[in-house]
Amino acid sequence: MIFIENLGKSFISLISGIGKLILFIALFFRYFFKPKFYLKINFKYFINIFISSIPIIALTGIFSGMVLALQSYTGFSRFSAESAIPNIVVLTLTRELGPVLTGLMISARVGSSIAAEIATMRVTEQIDALKTLNTNYYNYLVTPRVLALTLAMPIFVTLVDFIGVMGGYLVSVYKLGFNENLYLVNTINFLSLNDYLSGIFKALVFGFIISIVSCYSGLYSGKGAFGVGSATTNSVVVSSILILFSNYILTEIFF
Amino acid sequence: MDIEIKNLEKKFNDNEVLKDISLKIEKNKSTIILGQSGCGKSVLIKIIYQLLNYEKGTILYEGKKNIDIDKFSMLFQYGALFDSLNLSENIAFTDYMDNKINYSRKVKSLMADVGLDASNYHKYPSEVSGGMKKRAALARALYKNPKVIFLDEPTTGLDPINSDLINDLIIKVIKKRKITAVTITHDIKSAIKTGDNFYFIDKGITQEEGRCDKILSTKNKIFKSFITGARY
Repeated sequence: MIFIENLGKSFISLISGIGKLILFIALFFRYFFKPKFYLKINFKYFINIFISSIPIIALTGIFSGMVLALQSYTGFSRFSAESAIPNIVVLTLTRELGPVLTGLMISARVGSSIAAEIATMRVTEQIDALKTLNTNYYNYLVTPRVLALTLAMPIFVTLVDFIGVMGGYLVSVYKLGFNENLYLVNTINFLSLNDYLSGIFKALVFGFIISIVSCYSGLYSGKGAFGVGSATTNSVVVSSILILFSNYILTEIFF
Repeated sequence: MDIEIKNLEKKFNDNEVLKDISLKIEKNKSTIILGQSGCGKSVLIKIIYQLLNYEKGTILYEGKKNIDIDKFSMLFQYGALFDSLNLSENIAFTDYMDNKINYSRKVKSLMADVGLDASNYHKYPSEVSGGMKKRAALARALYKNPKVIFLDEPTTGLDPINSDLINDLIIKVIKKRKITAVTITHDIKSAIKTGDNFYFIDKGITQEEGRCDKILSTKNKIFKSFITGARY
């Protein structure tokens, strides 16, 4: 009986959480199109997010490209198809690994920090203070973060794609003995604009997911240090699941 | 501004925090709301400020049900200053956000009023003491020239000397600017010093009311035990 009761409670809590998130997104769009833009704040967040994420993005790109080249070589050498390595590296990176890995890393790096910052503001009554100062917290807290992250993600993915291809190039040329010109020619020849753009579209969607989920987790956090901790964990877990789920849906649509 | 509250009730899920609260906040007077920690004092002023909804009861602002909350201001328990902004940007928050640049004179004058040295103008909240944060938060609350100011435990977390300084400051500011003040506290000494009228809340009900200078001569058993710290 208790098991059924707990199951029911969890189900109701899940449905109520989804409902609140949908309402939150609806309110975001309502205030986004009826804005009071704080340009200074928007620009500040964009720069903050951009600078703080570059090192992690560069590392993600270079190691992904290097591992892809190594693993592809192990498999393709059995069928004497080593020449396909540049194509595999560039297609895998631009279509899938670039946007997904960037999304997951940014969710851990930026999403968690957004959730923790906003949750701390809730716990220390700064959100209430905003209301008493006639400031809409959607305009002040949510819009700058959503805009900054949604616009920064395509740049991050482009960087991961580029650095990843360079990582594959380094391993292929200096470790596996590929001809350097041939590697680059194969990479460029096989890459179509649609491959790149599909990854960029995914990046926009993932950026929106991470920022909106992180802001929501922060604003609806519980009380005290535990509340801040839970908000941070929830933002990363929910964003990651939604990134993987939406990646499948988008791949179905594009290809 | 007069504010009248009649039979107010507030619940959080099944937890009935306020059961039957009735009180009157008189214009240009300092009203103190006393009560134990967790008795719903902060909830009450957030309801009056329209930051929280309530289930039952009536709140009349100068006889009307609705009010422009721009006439209100609040000093939060721990200041609630924005960590990413310096003290001057915190104090002039609305003007700073609207990119108005000529707020420095007003900010400096307010800083002087609350006893903050001008050298703190560019400092961040993390770089100043708890007492200075409270002063900056009070300056922010006064920046928009409110008609009513709500003070949520203004001396919490401060040592006795700083508490007394903050109390003096509150009296000075309220008298100088002719503001209606509503202060929440469980500190009897502060209540007697800064208040005109008081209300004592216990178990969600208004248990006692009167003039602050008569607090110590109360006959109410529950209030008496609250003052003396004895359990009942």
